[in-house]
Amino acid sequence: MPTALLFVRKIHEKLFLQAGNGGVMQQNKVKIKTSHAQKKENRAGYFFIAPYLTFFTVFTGIPFLMAIGMSFLNIKYITKLDNLKFVGLKNFTKIFSNKEILDSLWRTFGYALVYVPLIMILGFALAVILNKGVYAKNALRATVFMPYVSNIVAVAVIFKVLLGSNSPIIQQLQSWGFEPPLLLQDLKLALPTTAVIAVWKGLGLNMVVYLGALQGVPAELLEAAQIDGATKWERIRHVVFPMVSPTTFFLLISSIIGSLQNFTIIQALTEGGPGQATTVMSVNIVRTAFMKYDTSLASAMALVMFVIVMIITLIQWYGQKKWVNY
Amino acid sequence: MAAKEKVYKILLTVFMAAFGIVCIFPFIFMISSSFKISADVMKFPFHLIPERFTMDNFVGLFTNGMYNFQKWYVNTIVMTALCIIIKIFFVSFTAYGFSKINFKGRDAIFLVLLSAMMIPSDIMILPRYIIFKNLHILDTMWALILPSCVDVYFVFLLRQSFIAIPESISEAAKIDGCSHLRIFWQVIFPLAKPSIATMALFSFTWAWNDYMGPYLYISTMDKQMLSVGVKLFSSGLIQDYGSQMAAATVVLIPVLVAFLFCQRFFIEGVASSGVKG
Repeated sequence: MPTALLFVRKIHEKLFLQAGNGGVMQQNKVKIKTSHAQKKENRAGYFFIAPYLTFFTVFTGIPFLMAIGMSFLNIKYITKLDNLKFVGLKNFTKIFSNKEILDSLWRTFGYALVYVPLIMILGFALAVILNKGVYAKNALRATVFMPYVSNIVAVAVIFKVLLGSNSPIIQQLQSWGFEPPLLLQDLKLALPTTAVIAVWKGLGLNMVVYLGALQGVPAELLEAAQIDGATKWERIRHVVFPMVSPTTFFLLISSIIGSLQNFTIIQALTEGGPGQATTVMSVNIVRTAFMKYDTSLASAMALVMFVIVMIITLIQWYGQKKWVNY
Repeated sequence: MAAKEKVYKILLTVFMAAFGIVCIFPFIFMISSSFKISADVMKFPFHLIPERFTMDNFVGLFTNGMYNFQKWYVNTIVMTALCIIIKIFFVSFTAYGFSKINFKGRDAIFLVLLSAMMIPSDIMILPRYIIFKNLHILDTMWALILPSCVDVYFVFLLRQSFIAIPESISEAAKIDGCSHLRIFWQVIFPLAKPSIATMALFSFTWAWNDYMGPYLYISTMDKQMLSVGVKLFSSGLIQDYGSQMAAATVVLIPVLVAFLFCQRFFIEGVASSGVKG
């Protein structure tokens, strides 16, 4: 799910629509009089949003509150909710004293350290190249975007064959005299490999969003810089990059959040293996809940991840003033 | 100078094309291999056109005694279709309420919804399990369909495109005595069709590709979805590469075809609603 993108929308809304355009939200705001007409309008409004709000409460609101509550209880089997006891912070102390859980937390960061820089740099570079002018621009754009719509489980089936022993690629490399490792079965390389495959899948989206931003950079600015004698690199560094910095900021946040929600891709490719090499937090949470039947511990782990995401986002939110230009 | 620019452009095109081939090579390999007999899939050097062409891999998918692949296929089609249809009406209905009706507390409620976007979905896994169980929709496709209707992202996007429709149009209808329900259905909904099409396409790929939902909430084999099915199927056939590739192909073909025909909606949907610097 595009939770990452959702978040981008939210910020976008806050910054551009409320502050920028004078606020679309405010635009429709008429002085509310409790007249007969307004009462009718209120009723119509609640009629239109009531079904949604009901669903939202049941499937998002209540689960969120339950998740917080569950992390302070002692639930074992998810289906057995009797004999509940409040255990305070016990689940959280367990997380930070359990080596296995901490290791999976570090792996999550390791995965993000490969995924985020790679997808940001590649997405920007490809957008610059496409924007610069190539032949068959739309077709090339579509080929890079294509993996984004694909089913990751089916894709994993292909990659497992392509990266496995005896695959045509491996044999080709061997015929050139290389000794390629089996990327998905290697204890050290499996984690970065899953991250690179995730980049392959998500890259198209970043590229297209950057492309939209690049098209908004005024051509006169670039020409002026060129006349002043700026080289190609200097133009990108000092003109283009600052102009698209809000986009960079949003993509950065959404990529970081996206990199932490990697359950499907890892489960499909390696199921956390070989050994524990790719057991990241998301995999570990599902395993703790549905295989080790420690519901409360799993909830606490998910809550810790949530808090980490919040902290990272807040740091960036306050740090953005240094490098983002609006 | 012009000649130099042209050379430069050709070089960039060649580079991008090479990158593009890397991006779609897995799909090419998959389709090509699905028509090969398994022994030829790993043959070196790689042949794009199968030397010994066969349809057996596809036939085997739907006639094997172990897994009910066609059942999974039908399940996924039904689930995806329901998901798209319900979501279109549900979300656009809500978006109308948040954009064209001036009721008390509207913007406050909308802000609460927006801030809920920050909650990562991982945290909901367990509580939703309990809720599905109590609603008696655990192990049915409704456990996948109903939560996906609560998509704040699309409420937001549609609200944006409804706001972009001039207020005078709905005002005129109102003066003619139209109720909100009729304005929504006969005026606003038809005018917002392009945005709704984009939403339908994205909903299609997300529902079709969802793995975590069926993996966690559906346990009966016959009710399972393709994403989970293809994984079960391929891990049961370690050496049968041809069948694995055929399974991957039938799962991927619907989304890839939809993308090829509607890629404008996909890409421009992202680019235009995306962040502009």
